[in-house]
Amino acid sequence: MSKRVQDIKPRRPKAALAWLQENIAEQQQRYKAIVKEMDTLAPARAKWYQEFLHTIQTRGFNVTGDMRRKITKAELPRQPKRKDRVVF
Amino acid sequence: MARPHIEPYVELDKPYKKFDLPGFKGSEYKVLSLDVDTGACTLKIRLKNGYKRKPGLSYSDMEVFVLEGRVKVGSEVWTRGHYAFVPAGMALAAMSAPQGAEILLMFNDSEPSYTESDRDHSLALTAASTSLNSYADAPWVPGNIVQPAASAGVMIKILHYDPLTEAISFLYCMTPEFMQDNISYHDCCEESYHIWGTSWMMQFGELPTGGYFWRPPYINHGAFRCPQGTIAFGRTDSKIHNYFHFNPWSSQAENTQRAAAMLYRQRPMLFDWVAGDGHNHPHGPPDFEHSHYHDDAQVRHLHNHAPKPLRSGKN
Repeated sequence: MSKRVQDIKPRRPKAALAWLQENIAEQQQRYKAIVKEMDTLAPARAKWYQEFLHTIQTRGFNVTGDMRRKITKAELPRQPKRKDRVVF
Repeated sequence: MARPHIEPYVELDKPYKKFDLPGFKGSEYKVLSLDVDTGACTLKIRLKNGYKRKPGLSYSDMEVFVLEGRVKVGSEVWTRGHYAFVPAGMALAAMSAPQGAEILLMFNDSEPSYTESDRDHSLALTAASTSLNSYADAPWVPGNIVQPAASAGVMIKILHYDPLTEAISFLYCMTPEFMQDNISYHDCCEESYHIWGTSWMMQFGELPTGGYFWRPPYINHGAFRCPQGTIAFGRTDSKIHNYFHFNPWSSQAENTQRAAAMLYRQRPMLFDWVAGDGHNHPHGPPDFEHSHYHDDAQVRHLHNHAPKPLRSGKN
């Protein structure tokens, strides 16, 4: 199976290139705004992590589907020293 | 670098922009995500009252999902929930939206393109074409299409399936009070647009109606909550596998290593073969069943390879 139509695509017109450049620049700004917004969410997220670690010890962790397993305290992960990052 | 991680992004309060590229005049757009190398993109489009264009084709695979309104395409009328996969080079009949419409429009291989034509390109793989109303003409099935599986309460309608990469486009819903207490990541990119409803993920908070994400591989998401239900349109760019765990602090790099470690344990012969000397195939090893898969635009896209150049006398 082959998608050869794309192989013979004409050269990108100037208008399309300008459209692309304009929107790439705007996307970069959107990405920065998202990172900033997610940084401001960090204190709430830290609480959510603690609630999650509590839930998986009490109600359990979804292994697959609705099969749950209670995680023991010894199995819990330790928070690394680096800054927590959710947007990559 | 392909598309950046756009999550979460809520577009409803963002303005539309005038769309002046050929084939789109009379419409407005918002970019939801954009591949900075190829121009592949997901757009939300408003076809203004009276929008129309002549029959034409794109040099990219294209997907359409109608959010609101009616779009006349040849003899068909596409209404809310209509989904279409239009292979590169396949001519779409004349389009019009007398009362306007809002659609999601996705170009998978390159920036938006349109060439007026009432005939398919001779190389178009038209057999891959799909056109159906996802609300009316496709059944909900349980969301446990792969194992390990999502919890009960996720339902799915598969709308398009790529046999080479196992990429899927789908409608999904979460029932009210849906919850899933694990953290997930995948080998594939994942994309979603919330048609209606709010869900919550532990990393990103609430994603409401109009919420969108494009998430690259191996990025943590979940636990999950959805108190009042959600319906959404989603896509992957290749096969989806759920890697579940409970370490909220693991990084994208650590998740990738964990996935590779699972491959090492669970498919040891394959891992050893791929990692072995002399088996470094930057364009993929031979496949007797799909001998030309190296040429496939989606496969090349996944490996950051440009489409194959024109070979004189062979096309």
